[in-house]
Parts: sequence; C-alpha cells; structure tokens
Amino acid sequence: MSGASDIAARSGRIRLKIGLRDMGTLLGLLLICVVFASLSDFFLTERNLVNILQQSSINACVAIGMTLVIISGGIDLSVGPTAALTAVVSASMIVGGYPVALAIVVALAIGMACGLGNGLLVAYGGLQPFIVTLGTLSLYRALALIYTGGNPILGVPSSFRVLFQTQVWIFPMPIVVVAVLGILAWVLLAKTPIGEYILAVGGNEEASRVSGVPIARTKISAYVISGGLAALGALILVARLGAAEPTLGNLWELEAIAASAIGGASLMGGKGSIVGTVLGAIVLGAMRNGLTLLNVQAFYQLLATGIIIIAAMLIDRLTRGRE
Amino acid sequence: MSPTGHTDAGTAGGAIPRLSMRGIGKAFPGVQALRNVSFNVARGEVHALIGENGAGKSSLLKVLSGVYRADAGDIRVDGKLVDAASPKAARMQGIALIHQELQQVPHLDVAQNMFLGMPLTHGGVFTDKTQMRARASTALASLDPSIDVTAPIRTLRVAQRQIVEIARALLSDARVIAMDEPTSSLTPREFERLTEVIATLAARGVGVIYVSHKLEEVYRVCTRATVLRDGALVGVVDLANTTEDMLVGMMVGRTIEARAHHGHAGTERVLEISGLGRGHAVRGVSFALHRGEVLGIAGLVGAGRTELVRLIAGVDRADSGTVSLHGRPIRSASPREAIGHGIALLPEERKRDGIVPLRSIVSNMALPAFQRWSRFGLVRTQALRQRVREMTERVGLRPPDIDRPIRLFSGGNQQKAILGRWLMADAGILMFDEPTRGIDVGAKADIYRLIEDLVQQGKSVIVVSSELPEIMRLSDRVLVMWRGEMAGILERADMNESAIMHLAVSGGRPQ
Ligand SMILES: Nc1ncnc2c1ncn2[C@@H]1O[C@H](COP(=O)(O)OP(=O)(O)OP(=O)(O)O)[C@@H](O)[C@H]1O
Ligand SMILES: [Mg+2]
Repeated sequence: MSGASDIAARSGRIRLKIGLRDMGTLLGLLLICVVFASLSDFFLTERNLVNILQQSSINACVAIGMTLVIISGGIDLSVGPTAALTAVVSASMIVGGYPVALAIVVALAIGMACGLGNGLLVAYGGLQPFIVTLGTLSLYRALALIYTGGNPILGVPSSFRVLFQTQVWIFPMPIVVVAVLGILAWVLLAKTPIGEYILAVGGNEEASRVSGVPIARTKISAYVISGGLAALGALILVARLGAAEPTLGNLWELEAIAASAIGGASLMGGKGSIVGTVLGAIVLGAMRNGLTLLNVQAFYQLLATGIIIIAAMLIDRLTRGRE
Repeated sequence: MSPTGHTDAGTAGGAIPRLSMRGIGKAFPGVQALRNVSFNVARGEVHALIGENGAGKSSLLKVLSGVYRADAGDIRVDGKLVDAASPKAARMQGIALIHQELQQVPHLDVAQNMFLGMPLTHGGVFTDKTQMRARASTALASLDPSIDVTAPIRTLRVAQRQIVEIARALLSDARVIAMDEPTSSLTPREFERLTEVIATLAARGVGVIYVSHKLEEVYRVCTRATVLRDGALVGVVDLANTTEDMLVGMMVGRTIEARAHHGHAGTERVLEISGLGRGHAVRGVSFALHRGEVLGIAGLVGAGRTELVRLIAGVDRADSGTVSLHGRPIRSASPREAIGHGIALLPEERKRDGIVPLRSIVSNMALPAFQRWSRFGLVRTQALRQRVREMTERVGLRPPDIDRPIRLFSGGNQQKAILGRWLMADAGILMFDEPTRGIDVGAKADIYRLIEDLVQQGKSVIVVSSELPEIMRLSDRVLVMWRGEMAGILERADMNESAIMHLAVSGGRPQ
C-alpha cells in the first residue's frame, strides 16, 4: 500500500514525502494530457493549461474539505447547498452596499456554521454522516431558496469581482488561493496533532478514544473546515459569474467525492491525500476541458467522467495486489 | 547445543508425510519473512511451530493456507502437490487455517458460518438450511455437542467459536489444520477442552500445526516442534528429549535469566477506589494503589478484571463508587479525561481498542501524546521520532522501521508498539491488561524489566493477567476478582498459586 513505500526525500530537517499513490495519480493526469495534446494543438498551450487549473479550482477547494471529512470516517453531502446559502447571503450583502470584507467574513462564517451543524449532529447526535448530511443537503438548500424566494441575486459589483480576477504572475487569484489552501491542508494533515487525530479517528475510532483522542472535536473540525471551504468555493464562483443563484452548487458533493477518491481517499476512512485530491480535481478538469476542445457532446463528457472514476478505482485496487 | 538433528518422524518408516513444505521463501517489501523453510507434519501428529515475534510463523501458515503466495518452494499434502492459490483453493485441497482473529460473521448462525462461501442449496438457488444444520451438528457432535447450530455466532464464547471453525475445517475434509495462537484468549478449562478436540483430530489422522508462545502448552499438546528464527529454520526437535531451556535457546539464540521480583512499593496512597461498580460486571470494589507499587489483578475469565480497569480508565462509565487521586476525588467521563489525570490503560483487545492499522509506528505510539509533542500547533517531528526510536529499541520492535504501517508487523510486535505507546506517555498510573499476550519469551523478560523501571521511577502500575507466573513475578500485592466482586487482596508474603486460585474459584467463601 502507498504508505509502505513512500519515496522520502530528506533535505536537512525538512522531510518531503510523495506517496507512491500520489505518483500514480500524477501519472494518470500526465497520460490524459498526452492523449489530449495529440488530439488538439491548443490543449498544451499555456493559456489552456492555466484555464484547466482555473476551472478545477472550485472543485479542488471543496474537495480538500471533503477529503478531510472522508479521512475522518465521514462524508459531507451538503457542500453544494452550503455553498448556495453562503453565496446568496453574501451576494445580497454586497449588492445591498455592505463592505465587501464584511460580506466575505459572513460568508465564511455561514459556511463554517453549516459545517458545525453537521459536525455536532454526527459527533453528539450519534447519527451516521451520510444521513446527517443528506438531511442538511435539503435543509441548507431550502434555506437558500427561502431567503431569495427562489430568485437569483444579480449585479454583484466589480469591487468584489476584481478580488478574484487579479493575477499573480500568470495565475489568476482562484488558483493561487487554492494552492495556498492545499499547502495549509497538507500541513494540517501531516504536521499537526489535529491531522493525526483525523487520520486516527477514521482509521480506528475506538482505539483513538481509548488513547485519549478528542473524538468529537476532531470530527467537528473536519466538517467545519469542509463547510468553510464550500463557502470559499461559492465566493470564487460568485466573483466569476457576478451573480448568485440559490440553486448553485448542484452536484458539487459528487465532484468533490470523485476528486478525493481518484486521489486515493478511502470511503472507509483513515486514508487519503491532499496532494492526490488536488491532482484528482485537475484530472477531472482536464478531462472536461479536453473533451470540450474536441467538441464532444456534454452527454459523452459525463460518460467519460464516469469511466475515469471507475478506471481509477480499478487500477488502485489491482496495483495494490493481494494482501 | 545442537538438537538440530532432523528427527524426521514425519517420514519415519518411509511413510509419506501428511504435509510437507519444501524450500518455502516469502519476501515482503523490505523484509525477508521466510527463507528456504522446510517443514513436515506426519499423519495424526500435533506439531508445534515456535519462534520469536516476527520469526515468520504466521507468514508460513498464511502461505500454507493460500492467504499469501510463496516466492519459492512447494507444498504437498499426502505427497500430492498443492496449489494454494487462494484460501478457498487451499481448503479444497485439504488445508485449513484457524486464524487467531476468528474470521466469522457475527450475526449469522453457527451453521451458516460453517458453510460460509460454500452453502448447500436446493438446485443451486435457495439455501438448504435444514441440510446445512444437520451436517453442521454432525460435524460438531464429536467436538462439542453442547454448541447449538442455530445460535448466532456472536452469542458464543471465543473457545466455542474456535471449535466451530475447527468443525468447519472438518466439513471440507481438512487433512491439515493449522492453528495460529489458538489459546491466547482461552481460560485454562477451555484450553483443556481444546486439547481434547486436538486429540480427536489427531486420532482421525489429521495433521495439526500448533503455534503458541506458551511453552507449557506446547509440551502438553505437541510431540515435535519446528523452530523458526528471522524467517529461517533453526531446527526440528522431539519434545520428549528437549528441555524448555534448550527450546528457548533455539528460539532466541541466547539464554534468558529469570530475574526475581524487585519491589519498589512505597506507602503513599496514590489512587483510591471505593465502592466502584457497573451493573453486574463489577460490584463494590475498593482498594488503594501505592506509589511505586505493582498491583496484580487475577481472576478467572469473566470475573470483571478487564471491566474494572476500563472503569478506572474512563473507557466505560461507572454507575457507582468514587476514584480519588492523591486524596482528591476525580471523575473521568472519558479516557481523555483519565489520561489528563495521568491514568492510562493498555487495552486487552489490541485489534479493536489498540491499533490504528493503516498508520505508522510513530503515529500509533505517539497518539496519546501529540499535543505534548507539538509547539506552535506543529508536531516536533524530529524530537518525537527520536523518542519513538528509543522506545522501539527498548521494547525490541522488529523490524525497527518506525515509518511502516503497524498492520504489517507481526502480532507480537504490534503488542510491543502499543506497550511502548504507554511507556512513553506521561502517565503516573499505568494499567496493563494482558500486557504480554502474544509476546515471545525473550521479549517478555524485557517487558517485565520495563515495568520495573516504571515503578522505580515512582510510577504505579496495575497488571491484569491470566498467567499466574506473570502475576507472581511482577506484583507487590495481588487483587483477586470473583464474579464481579473483589474476593481479596494478597500481600506478597502470602502470595502463592494455590492461594490465588482458591480466591479466584470460590471467592474466598467457605464452600
Ligand atoms: N503483509 C505483510 N507485509 C509486509 N510485511 C509483513 C506482512 N506480514 C508479515 N510481515 C513481516 O514478516 C515477518 C514475519 O511475520 P509473522 O507475522 O510471520 O511473524 P510471527 O512469527 O507470526 O510473529 P508473532 O509471534 O509476533 O505473531 C515480520 O517481520 C513481519 O513484519
Ligand atoms: Mg503471528
């Protein structure tokens, strides 16, 4: 299994580890790029590659939170509606003339509150994560619809939109933000007690409890992070579209779960990789981008996505071999 | 010392051995688990397979039973080449393995479990329950007729579940049955029962392989023993003319001095328990633990020993009684709170309550201590790894690779790692529930010494153990449990096996 044969590169006190499993995801991504590059001249241009990253950024953002939840032994089906709720509230604040900074803080707070709700129900309500977040999936969506009366909020001013439209070197802001988040999440998982706890609780909850791990706090943290990142994804989308619809974020949960799984997260918990998840999100983005370039119909794009997910899982299973 | 003269009773008189394994090799990434191991079992023989933790015993049995594929060598049953491509294939060819962690489906009944993966059907469609139950009870009749084939497997005791597994092996007409540490959680009486079952198997001509770290048992049950060390064959001996010391010498390659008890108990009362109870499992237990003391807890299985320490450690909640630390009452609603008070428990069930299988040795050993090992929110990896490395050296973890996931280690080495977890934790009161279960004779002596180091530093220790010699070796006093109650506490001067057993069996009440 991946952990057994990590390629460890040591430089002084810093240990950089790239798991074998992440190498596999990277290889898959490169393979997809090679195929599309041979079919379309435009695919490998700098502009298109940046495009792919930009198009993958929202899913990567949401999927990072999803991965933490999955590793902790849970699942968060409510990320899409969480995003919708934060989007409509923050958009209406901005349109209504409140300071942009305040709107962003409120958005993140709502996202984290949605996550907190999930986390409390899972940790203290003794309910299964799938059921809890299936419930809040409807609940948060309903709140978004009720708040807006079902209408989109239009005309988000450019004072907000420019925030995510500036560039750092050749990279648009969303890519930079998600890259920084990825690094933070990686540090969280690899270098902090809470990261160790998330991995331990997902790997064996009872053993963790007996060892004195704060089970409830650990699970709640994962859901709160997931909610916060869903809110951030919503902000990026609102900035891009200049509008917020209460139906936004439909099927985000499935895309995020797919990215996590392609990246090596186990839905049984206890296992997953931030690097892998980000690569997984890019795999999905590159697929969609390439197929669009080739003028493949949306129906077939869906088909291809399905095949990629299943193929990734099969390869994962087969290369792990007999235990 | 060379008892290595291959006696080869397995091929005595030119008879074809029931089982012969020749030149078996098996490598895992970074570890050569088996190298060129040859192994014979005669018809109706009970053959011991012994060696240190990580010597390769379980690996050899897993190769035999098709769980792993060997890199080299061949396996024959009754002279016929066996292709153990999968556990099912091995089973079809007459080989069955009784795993230490029984692989059964808890809510299915006994008969269903016995036919798991090979159900009897009416015309290949509907399962034929009647027929399965009939065949199951026939198979069980000679082993333990008291087992009800319609009872869900989870209602059975471990010993009975083991017998069900053996009966299952008989159903598929097993000619070789291998048992990996079958007695590690059996009571002495259940062990007697298992001995009878094994004798029945041998009388039927089945070749039995018996893995155990308990040498007394090996001498009771087996006629010959194969000794492995570091994946290689050390020798095959006739137990009748091999002393226990010779056997240990072959296993560990050195002699182990048996050290006498060294007391460090003070008079200061560190922990006071009064009237502690939970349901019927534990009732009104009161005692005090002193500074630097090792308190043994003895009793029969089911007497409430494990439950008692779980209550003190906050793993389960007490419904009556108080726990006081240094004279002040404390309340531990969770293990986390108890650990915060400096009270730690090494749990009995390693797999369920102890290890996080996918995580490394470092992560497993540091689990209770990550907060302590971090600064500004980040784990001080270098310092922590250094400490873990020291601790793995002291408990003799093998291989000493602290980044390897714990599930890849042999059972005994997993136990050493979990023990190390609590030795490096900063707890003033340590409770060890069956600390040396599955641990080899050499490592046992090391662990006793580590426990003595703890009390010498002024910590206090409680040891729950089913092995009286272990209790006698370690304890300054021994508390004996009987049916959830405390039957009595014996001082070191009054401590002897018969006194302890008397309390454990009768509760000290006149009969
Ligand atoms: N699946 C695996 N992957 C990698 N290494 C393994 C695997 N299974 C066993 N090993 C290694 O093979 C060696 C032999 O292990 P094995 O489990 O056979 O020991 P054992 O003699 O049964 O020990 P114990 O008495 O502790 O149960 C050990 O070094 C162990 O770490
Ligand atoms: Mg073993």
